[in-house]
Amino acid sequence: MGNLGQREKRLLISPAVILLLFFTLFPFVFTLALVFGKVSFIGGKIAIQFAGVSNWVRLLHDQRFWNAVLVTLKIVGIAVTAEYCIGLVLALLLYKKPFGCGFFRVLYVVPMLLTPIAVGYTWRMIFDVGRGPITGILQRVGVNPIGWLVDPNIALYSIIITDVWQWTPFMFLLLYAGLEAIPKDYLEAADVDGATAWRKFVYVIMPLLAPPSIAALLLRSVECFKIVDIIYIMTGGGPGQATESLTLFGYNVGFRAFDLAYGATIAFSLFFMVLIAAMFFTMLTRSLRAIRLE
Amino acid sequence: MRMFRKSVVLALVVLVGLVGGAAARKYEGVTITVFTQPPPYIAKPVMMFAPDWEKATGAKINLVTAPWGELYPKMYASFGLAEALFDIVIFPAAWLPDFASAGFLVPLDEFIAKDPYIQWEDILPIYRERIVSWEGKVYAVPLDGDCHIFYYRKDALENPEYQAKFKEKYGYDLPVPPKTWKQVRDIAEFFHGWDWDGDGQVEYGVVEPRRYAGQADWCFFSRTVGYVALPGQPGGLFFDPETMEPRINSPGHVRALEDYVEIMKYGVPGMINMDSGEIRSVFAAGLAAMAIDWGDIGVISEVGEESTVRGKVGYAVLPGSDEVWDFSRGTWVKLAEPNQAGYLAFGGWVAGIAHNSKHIEAAYDFISYLSRPENSYISVTTPETGFNPYRYSHFEKLSGWIGMGFSAEAAEAYLKAIKDTIGHPNVQPDLRIPGQARYFEAVDRALSRVVAGELTPKAALDEVAKIWDQITNELGRDKQLLYYRLSLGLPPK
Repeated sequence: MGNLGQREKRLLISPAVILLLFFTLFPFVFTLALVFGKVSFIGGKIAIQFAGVSNWVRLLHDQRFWNAVLVTLKIVGIAVTAEYCIGLVLALLLYKKPFGCGFFRVLYVVPMLLTPIAVGYTWRMIFDVGRGPITGILQRVGVNPIGWLVDPNIALYSIIITDVWQWTPFMFLLLYAGLEAIPKDYLEAADVDGATAWRKFVYVIMPLLAPPSIAALLLRSVECFKIVDIIYIMTGGGPGQATESLTLFGYNVGFRAFDLAYGATIAFSLFFMVLIAAMFFTMLTRSLRAIRLE
Repeated sequence: MRMFRKSVVLALVVLVGLVGGAAARKYEGVTITVFTQPPPYIAKPVMMFAPDWEKATGAKINLVTAPWGELYPKMYASFGLAEALFDIVIFPAAWLPDFASAGFLVPLDEFIAKDPYIQWEDILPIYRERIVSWEGKVYAVPLDGDCHIFYYRKDALENPEYQAKFKEKYGYDLPVPPKTWKQVRDIAEFFHGWDWDGDGQVEYGVVEPRRYAGQADWCFFSRTVGYVALPGQPGGLFFDPETMEPRINSPGHVRALEDYVEIMKYGVPGMINMDSGEIRSVFAAGLAAMAIDWGDIGVISEVGEESTVRGKVGYAVLPGSDEVWDFSRGTWVKLAEPNQAGYLAFGGWVAGIAHNSKHIEAAYDFISYLSRPENSYISVTTPETGFNPYRYSHFEKLSGWIGMGFSAEAAEAYLKAIKDTIGHPNVQPDLRIPGQARYFEAVDRALSRVVAGELTPKAALDEVAKIWDQITNELGRDKQLLYYRLSLGLPPK
């Protein structure tokens, strides 16, 4: 390898680059064309006509779009925060290597291994207001059934509970690995100085856990912005518009109403939101690094 | 030596037979790709009949499937190529206007005229003349007959004790089957929330789909048709056939939507989140007294292994209304008999040939094989094909239905309800113009918002009317008007 020139190196990696460009750039450009176009079907051919910014104007005036933005932000904000907090508590509990640590480490990870479709159906059955186990338990203790998925004021939180149940293990894994990577010397030095458990947590563990925390939050937020499968199975976006996320909105417009150009515009708006979130976390990482260097 | 000669002669005979047989197979080496949704529903008949057809013709059937949401875009993508990915597409009849008007499908009139096996006249006129035709030409072959019918529990509604109590409470005889939606409401209220079949479980009044993207929109139109389809006034259900103005927010539609919301009080808990697949299993589990569905509830209830209602189900045409909205006069009209116009919800699955297929003749031959009377009879009387009767011959013989698991009495009642619906003089076809999916999505969205309490019925339907107008303008009002009139069997303006 050492004898290869720049040209040969470029030649060798070119197939991978070409494939990557084909599978990422081409769909991106095609979607971009749709965003500023209108799809029509003339004489057995599909044609994209230029439509300026009309799709964007329509988007900005669409109440359903703003509702989907709000729903998505609520899910991301609440679910990712809860997943982080619970994941951190679980990681700290196992960090001390209590009895049965290995068993619990595997147990905590199980939900993450299931497909979202299976998780969606399972929780849909659990939350079923007529025949679900929760309803059965509540009725036995004399409490009226709760409309987990049928009450517009509650349905979103049922979705969030399901997402938290499935994805907390992801946070747990990253934070547990982060905790394991903390040099023991720091904690021993804090012990020698007589630091309480709380002070060790605040002044030693958390600062050292910041980089994996930000990575975990970034990865989970980006994924959570795209949430669709669990919602599709559990509520279909309803009741009404109570749980319609941006991705589901785009899917419904693109593949139920077959309005491909508008569906692509919705997808692009989601892309911008994810981009902003990613930039925010990247800036946060840089700031933290700067503080640590100081 | 004689033995050797005999062997040679025998070998020659076999060889000649093989060569001759192969020569007789007219599509040797041809591969026909069929595209539809994954098995069992809809794809199952293709899998059932492909081997025999392959043996007879020498061709191969390559079945390609995709989930419901991907069918339409994948079909469109294939139509746009120089050579089709799919020779045969099996799709919902409602998409035919989109495909035919864009030139994506091969006209089949000449093939049908020359085909001695398909027995075109055996197909019910509403399907062969309206559902599969576009601008006077036939573009597809029906494989499935779809209409909504009404289901009720005979053991509940025909129980003399309950009938007496009902009369005492409501002041009129419990009608079996109900003829108006008002009666359905009363019956649903009466049978809601108590154990009327003595199985130790609480039962409920009705079960109907209310979930967005769960086929609730067809349920809404089934509940609307009696209020707006005044005999002799075409187009009441969707648009004014003179101007293409939406009729979706008429007083008839609003009243139907109010009923649609009110009946939920007497529905199975969680009905707001149920799609049509779920209501079938709920009805078959014995939890509801009444339901609206395609033919599927009948099959699942009478044949399904987990059904608890076998032999207890009654079948009827959709209820209607004593009062019908008269669009020409802008007023309600009272009729002597309830208006129970049927509704061909969805219109069924049809098979068409892609314009860019290289094997049009062979593709037609396979479609014809699927649809011919003897094979289609097997399809409609086999569980999990998703196909319902659409030929006269499907209604004539009971043996297939009894073989499937129906009792003779149940089969007769089931087929009668379907036949009476399809054959009703005022039966309303589904919307069959380009953009159908967009028009219906707007309705579906509005319905889900109304049942969630986000909008009132009137406000929601006014919003739908606005969206329908936008779609019509975008697709070209004159063109849409022409297509709408043609879909209703009216001459161009």
